[in-house]
Amino acid sequence: MMGRSTDWLMAILGGLLLALMINYNSLLARHTTPIFASWVAHGLGAVAAFVLVMLHHRVVRPADPAAQPGPRPPLWFYAGGIPGTLVVILAAIAVNSSLALSGAIAFMLVGQVIFGIAVDHLGLFRTQRRRITRIDLLGALAVLAGSTLIIFGGR
Amino acid sequence: MIVYVLLAILNGIVIGTSRAINGQLSVVRGAFRASLWNHLVGFVFLTLVLAAIGQWRFESALALPRVAYLGGLFGALFVAVNSYVFPRLGAMNAALLVISGQMISAVVLDYLNANVTPTLARCAGVVLVLAGVYLTRISTRPLASKDKAS
Repeated sequence: MMGRSTDWLMAILGGLLLALMINYNSLLARHTTPIFASWVAHGLGAVAAFVLVMLHHRVVRPADPAAQPGPRPPLWFYAGGIPGTLVVILAAIAVNSSLALSGAIAFMLVGQVIFGIAVDHLGLFRTQRRRITRIDLLGALAVLAGSTLIIFGGR
Repeated sequence: MIVYVLLAILNGIVIGTSRAINGQLSVVRGAFRASLWNHLVGFVFLTLVLAAIGQWRFESALALPRVAYLGGLFGALFVAVNSYVFPRLGAMNAALLVISGQMISAVVLDYLNANVTPTLARCAGVVLVLAGVYLTRISTRPLASKDKAS
């Protein structure tokens, strides 16, 4: 129970981190180009992640000296960064279209949720299969409807 | 118009793909290493793209205030956090909770950045999002007890 609550709060905190990331990256993108801004963000992000790996290693190692190689993951497990960069390129196209920023974001959220349901249901990418209940779908609908109100609700 | 709608939906799918793969890597290599690989591979890939289209903008980037570069740090943290929770919560719940955090943060950030009180529609949106989060919370509960039993 405790573990679940922490995961749940961490995911919401992840959303805050994402909002902050987009906030600063779009500042960079406005003065350069979306792709160049993403390149800078990935470069600096790699440096930051490297520092985090080192810090984590220092903290964990004393407690867990054998914290090394498990089973060797397939090569595509390392390729998550490629679709991650495609997002920026596709978003740059969608945002500059007749959809505008708000519409593009709204449909991206819809795509994410539907795809999330598909991944859970089918166990795509070797993930654990999960049953989607009616309450899950109701929750998804509420989050999407609320997000739509926030996106189009004016500032 | 419909092409761009489909493009935006496709983009959501691409986002989900990236997060699912990073989540899988984090199970074997740890969340911070998953974030590092994500950024390294993305950086190399974007270097090739930029080399091909010749869109380097160093002068305008260097003229910006330093805070503009904070995005990289938040990105590194985000990928680590998301890769950690993804396999634990499942794809749909992870997506929903991240979206909720993102949307509520957006309202708060707008308030802090521009000092505008959120509109009634936006407040209603926040309430709906929270209701949705509560519902996912109910549905994850039985899963937690099952975990304990096994």
